Amino acid sequence: MTVRTFSLLVFAAAVLDAAVAPEIEILGARPDLLVLAAVYGGLLVGSRAATIGGFLMGLVADTELPEYLGLNALAMAAIGYVSAGIWDHLVRTNVFVQCVVLFACSMLHDAVYYVVYYRNHLEMYGRFMLRYGALGGLYTALLGAAVFGLAKVKRWRTIAGDSGW
Amino acid sequence: MFATLARLLRGNRDLAVFLGCTALSFSLISLPIGAKETLSRFFAGAVLGPFKRAATAVSELVRVREENVALRKLATELAAERAALVEYKHENERLRDLLRTFVTFPEEQRFEMLPARVVGMPGGRVTERIEIDRGSEHGIRVGMPVVVPEGLVGKVARVSYGRSTVEPLTSATAAVSAVVERTRVRGVVHPRFRSGSELVDWEISYVPARSDVIVGDRVVTSGLGGIYPPGLAIGTVTRVDEGPLTMTIRVRLAVDFATVEQVFVLTGPASGGGGASDVGAMLPENVAAPRTCESEAA
Repeated sequence: MTVRTFSLLVFAAAVLDAAVAPEIEILGARPDLLVLAAVYGGLLVGSRAATIGGFLMGLVADTELPEYLGLNALAMAAIGYVSAGIWDHLVRTNVFVQCVVLFACSMLHDAVYYVVYYRNHLEMYGRFMLRYGALGGLYTALLGAAVFGLAKVKRWRTIAGDSGW
Repeated sequence: MFATLARLLRGNRDLAVFLGCTALSFSLISLPIGAKETLSRFFAGAVLGPFKRAATAVSELVRVREENVALRKLATELAAERAALVEYKHENERLRDLLRTFVTFPEEQRFEMLPARVVGMPGGRVTERIEIDRGSEHGIRVGMPVVVPEGLVGKVARVSYGRSTVEPLTSATAAVSAVVERTRVRGVVHPRFRSGSELVDWEISYVPARSDVIVGDRVVTSGLGGIYPPGLAIGTVTRVDEGPLTMTIRVRLAVDFATVEQVFVLTGPASGGGGASDVGAMLPENVAAPRTCESEAA
């Protein structure tokens, strides 16, 4: 995947996260499409592009809540950088691994973002992470499995590899 | 120290980019809230604005489409409902006319009126009989007069349990004893046929020559014969032909049989009320108030 394609993916993810994610909420948890894009960006285009892409997506998300401008950008840049580093040490083309990485990155994002958001009410932070953070991470991981399935059908080898499920 | 850091970052550009992004993020985080809001507004308006507007337009379009389908359905339902209401309105107006006609008169001058709906009018150009939705179950008997506000329709010819057949004035066998309202000249109104059973119009026969009848005179029932009460409007004189012994008077009927939908059957005098001689008092303006049989006889 070229950086240009990834830029389009980043942009699409930012728009979809704002427009579609609230519509597919389940039990109050919504999938983190930005995390999904950043993690697969790390897998497809490498650390630098994933970091910058994550930063920009985070910045877009931050416009929704100006008080915390820069916080999402920081968290997403971290995810882009970390996920790219992780892929160097794992079997990339495994659906289970991808789901676990997505779950972990989603939790990492929420952990970074909401620790600042709830800095004055840390007891709520723990409850939030257990209730919505974990559920949102699971949701994002399931979407990762769907992406893997799509890659399998479309024969995107960077994601799905050559082997079977 | 800076030289070491610079060397480290040159060797690891990924880390350099990440640290750059992190520094930028912290810079943004540390901005005063006013500046953050300005930046956010600018960014949201300039970069995301068009896409948000597009997304809003799409969702609005979907909403409008759904609303359109619902409104179309509602419009169809309302149209059907409106058609029914218009029908009820017309029926209501007809009944009001009838009711106004029949209730504004003194109690003792009323007839028992049974409203009935026309449910069939078989026949071609000439209405030979009229089916109504009332029968013996409702107290109807053969020979009862049938009227509308415009005047006489005919009489009941056949009765079944829930339906009756009315022989109208347009029937080939109809013949009604009538008088010219103005001069009390008496005769019998009946349909006039040309060869081939083609109905031409109605005429009054057996009127002595040189009787006082002119075009425009109103013709009403005479009350003779015991079937129709006196004073029910039959029609208007349209032509008078003098003969050596009798005169022939052409009549245009008061009732338009093509538009009759609701009729009243005169089932008898109202309880405690008057008799047949008073029936004219409860008929509409265009139905003549008759002189009584007694005065007629005198």
